[in-house]
Amino acid sequence: MPILSVSDLKVRYSTSGPEILKGISFDVEPDDFFAIIGPSGAGKSTLIRCINRLVKPTSGKIMLYGDDVLRLGARELRRVRRSTGMIFQEFNLVNRMSVMDNVLSGRLGHVGNLRALFRQFSRQDIARALSVLDRVGLSDHVDKRADELSGGQRQRVGIARALMQDPKLLLLDEPTSSLDPKISREVMALIVEIAKEYRVPVLCNIHDVKLAMEFCNKMIGLQDGVKMFDGPTSAMNEGKLNDIYAMEVL
Amino acid sequence: MTAVPHMDQRLDAFLAGRRRGKTTRTLIYLVIALLVIWSVKTTIVDDTDWERLGSVSDVLASIGNFLAIDWGLMPDLWQPALETIMVATLGTVLGVISCIPAIWFGALNISPFPPITYPIARLMMTLSRSIHEIVWALFFVAAVGLGALAGVLAIAVRSIGFIAKMSAEAIEDLDPRPVEAIRAVGGNEFQVFIYAILPQVLPVMVGVIIFEWEINIRRSSVLGLVGAGGLGLVFFRQLNTFNEGGVTAVILAILLLILFGELVSYFVRKAII
Amino acid sequence: MASQDTLSVSEVTPERTWRRFKFPGSLYRYLGLLAAVAFLSLSVNYLNIPLDRFLGMFGRVGDLITDRYYPPDIEYVTDPDYIASVIETIQMAYLGALFGMLAAVPLGWFGAYNVSPSRRFIYPIARLLTMSARAVHETIWAILFVTILGFGMMAGVFALTMFCIGFAGKLFAEEIEAIDMGPVEAIRATGANEFKVMVYGIFPQVRVAFTGIGIYTWDVAFRAATVVGFFGAGGMGWYLKRNVLQIETQRVAAILLSIVVLVLISEAISAFARAKVAKAK
Repeated sequence: MPILSVSDLKVRYSTSGPEILKGISFDVEPDDFFAIIGPSGAGKSTLIRCINRLVKPTSGKIMLYGDDVLRLGARELRRVRRSTGMIFQEFNLVNRMSVMDNVLSGRLGHVGNLRALFRQFSRQDIARALSVLDRVGLSDHVDKRADELSGGQRQRVGIARALMQDPKLLLLDEPTSSLDPKISREVMALIVEIAKEYRVPVLCNIHDVKLAMEFCNKMIGLQDGVKMFDGPTSAMNEGKLNDIYAMEVL
Repeated sequence: MTAVPHMDQRLDAFLAGRRRGKTTRTLIYLVIALLVIWSVKTTIVDDTDWERLGSVSDVLASIGNFLAIDWGLMPDLWQPALETIMVATLGTVLGVISCIPAIWFGALNISPFPPITYPIARLMMTLSRSIHEIVWALFFVAAVGLGALAGVLAIAVRSIGFIAKMSAEAIEDLDPRPVEAIRAVGGNEFQVFIYAILPQVLPVMVGVIIFEWEINIRRSSVLGLVGAGGLGLVFFRQLNTFNEGGVTAVILAILLLILFGELVSYFVRKAII
Repeated sequence: MASQDTLSVSEVTPERTWRRFKFPGSLYRYLGLLAAVAFLSLSVNYLNIPLDRFLGMFGRVGDLITDRYYPPDIEYVTDPDYIASVIETIQMAYLGALFGMLAAVPLGWFGAYNVSPSRRFIYPIARLLTMSARAVHETIWAILFVTILGFGMMAGVFALTMFCIGFAGKLFAEEIEAIDMGPVEAIRATGANEFKVMVYGIFPQVRVAFTGIGIYTWDVAFRAATVVGFFGAGGMGWYLKRNVLQIETQRVAAILLSIVVLVLISEAISAFARAKVAKAK
């Protein structure tokens, strides 16, 4: 059974505005590393934000862990978000907080309001944060402020924060677009390893086709809100890529 | 994972670090709390006539008096409201005129003789901003007698500081190239001011003046309390005749007036900038 | 264009004209200006402002200061009772600013359009409360609280609280509206509720700015605190009122002087503290 199943998803930001997604359907299986590729403006970011309803779709259906995401109340939605890790293009760390506090914020879905207010996380959570930080290679930066780190290090903090959630699915929104090519490859490789270790499926927006071809086992191609390709990476070829990126002026 | 054997020690070290950070913070909070307790004791506990204040229901009853709004008073408020607007407007205009020397002296790049003129300008700005409008009004009432003029003067003097400060800063930040250009075509200092400096700072100044005008409506609405007419005077009369409903009506009128001022300033800003 | 330097500009382009006045844009401008001037002259008339005696008035103000207000009675303001009232004024400002800011933080959060928990209900209510607290002048708040609570500093503290709610609430909301929404989105994505989003996603971003605004609020509250006593709400203002009523002008001059000095000191402290906070980030 797919862990995520999207059917006929449509999004319009305002009633008179253009349709950003024009009926997208696809499934993500438990051991997928799934890429969404396409030119900028194709709707990749909107699509990935619909999965945990950071963007509210106009119509369609999203089944995630057996829940109908678009029909959930606020509390159930938070429960679904809690088990869905997200990693962002601009890292979206709170710059003025320490690395540790940023990572611990991944547990916010699990702690009470008062504990959150006074930053009283359990010993268990802190131990987990320390070992997650070891895993992404940031053991020496625990007490630094997030804005003291380099881009690659910050994205590692973002990965650690997502791992703290003990996610059942990872959503990646252009995780490498703000990084230089060498660091991009390192970060992608790290995410692939971690996904295997933690046995968590990944849905990843990615602009860089080369990285996608190298690291992902399935992909869909979007162009102007329409799905142009859906299948294993091995089935992708030059001709299809040209079709997908036809509208982009290089 | 290899790190696990040391995890307990690391955890303890980390938590100890957090606690250290917490002690200083707790100390700061403690000082704040002690100051609060001391201040509450002197200003609230010791200084209040609790017997006269009565019970909670007495207080609620006297609040209730204010809620019975005297709508009948509203038609009589047109005239004082107009007066309030007029005092605010005249005061702002007079303030703009009288802050020209302060701007000229107070912008370091055009100040004629900075060692002397600059401190004079700063003093003017500081005096204007640090003395409350009520105090200015009292002073001018003593000087020119009761009436709108005292209010206009108080508003004008109180406006100088902010307008002059913002304008002088705008002039200090201006682009020197147009100034050179006008000098290059043979313009004198006055022409330089009109053609090179004024066009650059005018948008900022207009914004600042409109903002100040809005604030001045709020100020002029109370100057009647010390004898400068307008809504403040009506407020005072309603209070002295123990017509609490009328007091609330005047406050509502002031709110409407300020809303009106915000609307006007929104449209003027749009039209000019 | 002008290949022959003997030709004057007018000879080259005889048919082109340019006028500063352009219809109708300029017309509206001039009409607007005319209306403004008309309103000003109407105001002068309506308020019976004696323009002819206007310049002579400055001489009178000068005479008044030298004759009656000079020299200020400095001894009066070094009196222990007066100094005690200064300390009380500082305490009132402290409490008012503190209580006001405690209320202004949630109001700023609810009244910031980008992160308000409910744009349809909570946002307009928070905005309205902040705006009303701000629109009503601090002296009116003082009078209202004196009427309800009786003479004394409690009324002053509450008046200053309302004043600070209006002052800080607006600045807080503006500050929150300018934050980076990325971290907010990230914290939301972890399944945090709006309160936790505030604590982790919003507050760390504005903490420094809020501290600066807080110091500034205290400074402004102190300025307002010097006059609330004039209406019976305690502090230095009460001394001012008594001496104004008794026409003790040299004492009034001394009190005004002391207010200016104190405000200057508080301004200097506030500027210093704000610069320090900004540097610490």
